[in-house]
Amino acid sequence: MDLTEPVVLVLTSLADGPKHGYALAKDIEDFAGAKLGPGTLYGALSRLEDRGWIEALPSEDRRRPYRITAAGADCLAKHLETAQRVATTGLSRLEPRSTA
Amino acid sequence: MTSDQPWAAALLTAYPPDWRARYGDELELLVADLRAGGRAPIPMAFDLLCGAVAAWLTLERRTLMSERSRNALISVLWSWVAFAAVAAWFGHDLAIYPSAPQAHQIGLSHPAVPDAYHVLQVAGAVGVAATALAAVAFAIDAVGYARRCRRRSTIAAMAVPVVIAVAWLGGTRLLPASSFTVGNTALAVGWLLLGVAGIAGSTQAVVTVIRSAEFAERTWRIGGVAAAAVTSAMVVATGATITWGVVERASQAHGGDTSGWLIVTAIMAVTTARAVIALISARREPAGKPATA
Repeated sequence: MDLTEPVVLVLTSLADGPKHGYALAKDIEDFAGAKLGPGTLYGALSRLEDRGWIEALPSEDRRRPYRITAAGADCLAKHLETAQRVATTGLSRLEPRSTA
Repeated sequence: MTSDQPWAAALLTAYPPDWRARYGDELELLVADLRAGGRAPIPMAFDLLCGAVAAWLTLERRTLMSERSRNALISVLWSWVAFAAVAAWFGHDLAIYPSAPQAHQIGLSHPAVPDAYHVLQVAGAVGVAATALAAVAFAIDAVGYARRCRRRSTIAAMAVPVVIAVAWLGGTRLLPASSFTVGNTALAVGWLLLGVAGIAGSTQAVVTVIRSAEFAERTWRIGGVAAAAVTSAMVVATGATITWGVVERASQAHGGDTSGWLIVTAIMAVTTARAVIALISARREPAGKPATA
């Protein structure tokens, strides 16, 4: 399963605890510097909910919070482990060039 | 809906109706919150339009995929219901056919007769278990869909099989036992036909739910596995019924006509073939692009 960047950002944000749309947008902006638009954010939320990787909680003043499910956390962990391996390999291969 | 950002409300009409019913309010609130936080409106408007296009494309892909699964599942369901009704009616007293003492004697000299009966029972149990598993998975999704999209008709259709079963079984218990004696053949046959009509009506209600509601990919996969299990059970049960009939006739314990067994076997074979063809056809259609989340 390929994960798009907004999906990874949303899952990473929810790994910290349940959040509603605006809290998600602000958190993602804070930790990744990415300003997700409302259509992109809710597109990711709807796909994640369809797959059962997040679930909606009862709404608070019409702002509905979402939380990550066990399946979502598992999928995110696998994706991040792969990404970490790629990043480590890539950085180590770039190192000789930057020092040369 | 809030009216703080009328342009956002207008852009939301570009989304698929079901999607808008589920996320529209939240999305409009998010736009208002982001505007209050200083986010520029034009990039947000462009992003909303891109989101609408993506939502329609996702819906189209899901519709194509689920349409294949839907048609196959509905074909298997109708075949299984017809098969199960005939097999249950035919098989419920095979263990004591043509009479308990004779069946015992036949079983001793022709072990294939009771063996076939037991295989028929196990196949029936597997089919019922697979149907129950799929029914729970689909019912949970259908209730979720009805609540999300405020579709009372889905809930009403789901209630039809329960209401019919309770009414028919309740009526059977309430009617005096003398209603089903030889002297009351018309009532007994009428009640049986009413039961058959109830089964058909219940199945049609379930088909309506399957056609009208949206289900998760995981639920379609459960449905596919259940359909395969049910079809396998039908193949095995048809084989067992044929074996039972051939050995039973070969034992020459019963000299009556074979038309009942032949008719039942023919119905079982036709419904089984229909289910097998539906599953094979669904698998033969080209698979779409792998899903991306």
